[in-house]
Amino acid sequence: MRSQSTNKLIKNIIIYILLILLAFLMLVPFVWMVTASLKMNKDIFVIPYQWLNPEPRWLNYIDIWTKIPLAKYALNTVKLTIIVTILQILTSSFAAYAFAKLQFKGRNILFLAYIATIAVPWQVYMVPQFIFMRNLGLADTHLAIIILQAFSAFGVFLMRQFYEGIPDSLCEAARIDGMSEYKIYAQIMLPLSKPALSTLTIFTFVNTWNDFLGPLIYLTTDSKKTLQIGIKMFISQYSAEYGLIMAASVLSLIPVLIVFIALQKYFVAGITTGAVKG
Amino acid sequence: MNTISQKRRKRKQALIAYSFIAPNFLGFAVFTLGPIILAFIMAFTEWDGNNPMQFIGFSNFTSIFSDDRFMSALKNTIVYSIFTVPFTLAVALGLAILLNQKIRGRTFFRTVTFFPYVASLVAVAAVWNMLFTPSEEGLINQLLINVFHTEPLKWAASPNTVMLTIVLFSIWKNMGYYMVIYLAGLQGISEDLYEAAALDGAGSFEQFRYVTLPQLKPTTFFVVIMLTISCFKIYDIVYMLAGGSNGVVNKSAIVLVYYIYEEAFRNWKLGQASAAALVLFAIVLIITLIQFKGEKNYAND
Amino acid sequence: MKKKILSTLMAASLLAATLAGCAAAPATAPAPAGDAAPAEEAAEAGSSDEAVTLKWALWDKDTTVYYQPLIDAYTAKNPNVTIEMVDLGSTDYSTVLGTQLSGSGADFDIVTIKDVPGYVTLVNKGVIEPLDDLIAQDGIDLSKFSGVTDQVTIDGKLYELPFRSDIWVLFYNKTVFDNAGVDYPTNDMTWDEYDALARAITDTTAGSRVYGAHYHTWRSTIQLDGILDGKHTIVDGNYDFTEPYYNMVLAQQKDGVCMDYATLKTQGLHYSAAFAQGNVGMLNMGSWFIATLINGIASGEYDVSDWGMVKYPHAEGVEPGSTLSTITALSIPTSAAHKDAAWDFIKFVCTEEGAEVLAGTGNIPAMTNESIVDIISKMDGFPEDSKDALITSHTYLEMPANENSSEIETVLNEQHDNIMNEVVSVQEGIAAMNEGVQAILGE
Repeated sequence: MRSQSTNKLIKNIIIYILLILLAFLMLVPFVWMVTASLKMNKDIFVIPYQWLNPEPRWLNYIDIWTKIPLAKYALNTVKLTIIVTILQILTSSFAAYAFAKLQFKGRNILFLAYIATIAVPWQVYMVPQFIFMRNLGLADTHLAIIILQAFSAFGVFLMRQFYEGIPDSLCEAARIDGMSEYKIYAQIMLPLSKPALSTLTIFTFVNTWNDFLGPLIYLTTDSKKTLQIGIKMFISQYSAEYGLIMAASVLSLIPVLIVFIALQKYFVAGITTGAVKG
Repeated sequence: MNTISQKRRKRKQALIAYSFIAPNFLGFAVFTLGPIILAFIMAFTEWDGNNPMQFIGFSNFTSIFSDDRFMSALKNTIVYSIFTVPFTLAVALGLAILLNQKIRGRTFFRTVTFFPYVASLVAVAAVWNMLFTPSEEGLINQLLINVFHTEPLKWAASPNTVMLTIVLFSIWKNMGYYMVIYLAGLQGISEDLYEAAALDGAGSFEQFRYVTLPQLKPTTFFVVIMLTISCFKIYDIVYMLAGGSNGVVNKSAIVLVYYIYEEAFRNWKLGQASAAALVLFAIVLIITLIQFKGEKNYAND
Repeated sequence: MKKKILSTLMAASLLAATLAGCAAAPATAPAPAGDAAPAEEAAEAGSSDEAVTLKWALWDKDTTVYYQPLIDAYTAKNPNVTIEMVDLGSTDYSTVLGTQLSGSGADFDIVTIKDVPGYVTLVNKGVIEPLDDLIAQDGIDLSKFSGVTDQVTIDGKLYELPFRSDIWVLFYNKTVFDNAGVDYPTNDMTWDEYDALARAITDTTAGSRVYGAHYHTWRSTIQLDGILDGKHTIVDGNYDFTEPYYNMVLAQQKDGVCMDYATLKTQGLHYSAAFAQGNVGMLNMGSWFIATLINGIASGEYDVSDWGMVKYPHAEGVEPGSTLSTITALSIPTSAAHKDAAWDFIKFVCTEEGAEVLAGTGNIPAMTNESIVDIISKMDGFPEDSKDALITSHTYLEMPANENSSEIETVLNEQHDNIMNEVVSVQEGIAAMNEGVQAILGE
């Protein structure tokens, strides 16, 4: 009995040492971002790097708001990110249900087509896509960005894989009870797929939040631009204000972290129903 | 009579299924699939984005396959993927299992692992370059000299080690992302299965081998495909690490999408860029098909 | 099944629409070009009071000091014209502009051209107008552009007019020279004298490190030193002339006279930050750095107090004052709605009036002369003794227009990187350049 608990203790200690090492390794870039954001531009890439800065330059955190309309850009990004994330979650989980739990002709082919298109780099179809969108009158609109981001194959694929893990017997039972497919989706599948929905929300949020090239190409009017375009504005032709870039990047990371921390709590206890094949 | 109603039921079921797919599919087909199909047609044309397209058959393919830079890009991308996919997968799964346990500070550790993925690439690359400085003063080189008594390496500055540097970097940057997917996948495994296994006298390794792994198959399928695709589409990391302050990516580090970018937006040879993309697409499709077959076999078990 | 048919149909119609869009573009594009314009042009340019809004594609709208003064000066004279700046960002400017101008739907009237490879691709795509007829009609004297317009003429046609021109000079930190007790660089130095000077001020003691020279990681800082004798160009397929310059810099690198290329490249240290540390003696760089440097010192950020500029060093037997230049120019897209009004603005910006406005902001206009140099040197923080550095005898574009500019650039960059990382010897690198570029030129 005692030896077992000592074993457990040793195991725990090893785990924690590992974890703390890992945390250290992972946190270094963030610490770098924060320290760099409090430096003057010329000092950032100097070797050896100065981790302790006797004169933190808080001014960087003020300058970013006055040098460019960052608040406006942030607002645009928030708007785009929220709309895209909601649309993505709804349409993907909806479509994924059919791919995972319903039988129909052409299911596998269609699904493969979905996955395969993820492999095509955006750079090759960006130009025809842009011309097409402009012909529709969508150039320089937020709608263009929403359309481009909201219907991705990625979300469908992700959700479908999680639904695959949910036993078919659950759906069958509900069907026998006379539930419609829509009801099964809404009342059984959705609640069970909270971890997956959380994952998709996090990923979509991060992607849209950090998207740069899409908004850059489509949005030319100043008042429509996004946060990431704004951050890149500190890199001008002849100089790059890395102090300001890092200050803005640190701030732009906060919403992402909030979303992650808020949603990661759903990564606990999934299905505990006894109706599992076995 | 019976067959007709059966047919009807099948049709009704199919209609319901299509109604589920439609909202996503329509948006996807019009705005993404269409341009992609067009890009595939472009592979057989000469086009600069403005002048009329000219069909030139397979010329683009013959010219990319005789282009040194393309061949290097193809080789580097494949080497990169072969090393990155399995290691990232293993590390991500290990982390997910570790951070799925009820340990103190779990939220903190989970968040921290996700950090390199969301942090600004400039910052992550800067830290990485600090560790892997090519000169002898670099931290890792100090370690090599003093602890392992080996020659210091030039890392990203040498054609022999630049891909290794990029592989290590991407594992570090992306493992948190795939950990999240595995973490979500682990929640789908019923506790009952573990209890049953424990009753049968299975130790923690057996539980992992006979419960966790098979139950995670759909997730692993997803992770393998997405990892492969993202490895084949790697671009910004290479530009950041190998391009450095002058943005010059050498043959020793060039990858497919970088080549595509160069052809498309520096030389405006969209046809050639599309041909290269089609090659990339074909490789990924074959890998996906093999995996897909594997997944189906599992489903039939 | 119906859905499937429907979706197939949709995809097909989408394709047709896109293809039609792409194909329709060139059919309409070349028609309203320069040849037809002159007659209406003359009637419209001077007299029309109709309100016009011109859209101007550019980068760094908020950090570039001269856009607004140029616009103000122009609209003061032409109150009916409004000029709207569209910022496409600096980092990916050429990509975004090229995409926007694809398929002739863009609504820009004036586009800024950032570099020569970008210019050449736009010309090849047929999306910018030739300006020759307009230039002839308004009698603009191209000789005032010190020969650079010849270097961007493609098949006898000129598609851009430069308004800004940056020349390369040698910046130096006076304090470093004072501390070493060495005389400042002069306006008439050969490369050997320069090398000796760099070595004289270098201090390799750890802790009080001083670098005699600094070379940014661009290939221009080394390769192009060789074209200043006027006998070679960077697109002629033989690069043997770069050898002495590579040998010089590699030897300096080995002896600790300058920072190591590999480290500079991976660490991403910007040349301005390197110079700002105050331990770099000399830096060969473009004149755009003048404004950055003055601002950095004025704000107290840079650890440099006393600096100067001299003319670029020269090869034995060559007249001093030969240097490299980079131009920023304006063009009219073929899809522009107000071509005449756009030309009128371009004419203003690129010739005398615009040049004075530009000089007033501390930047060097493409159309330059002694009085313009005077205006610049009166700027606050400009070192008095350095005025002569800006007077040139010959200027050579960093990259002259060639239909293969961007592909040649790729080859030269790659070998520059190999040589500087010491992956290949100088001879091997140059042989690879010769072979690679000749293959491109032979296509």
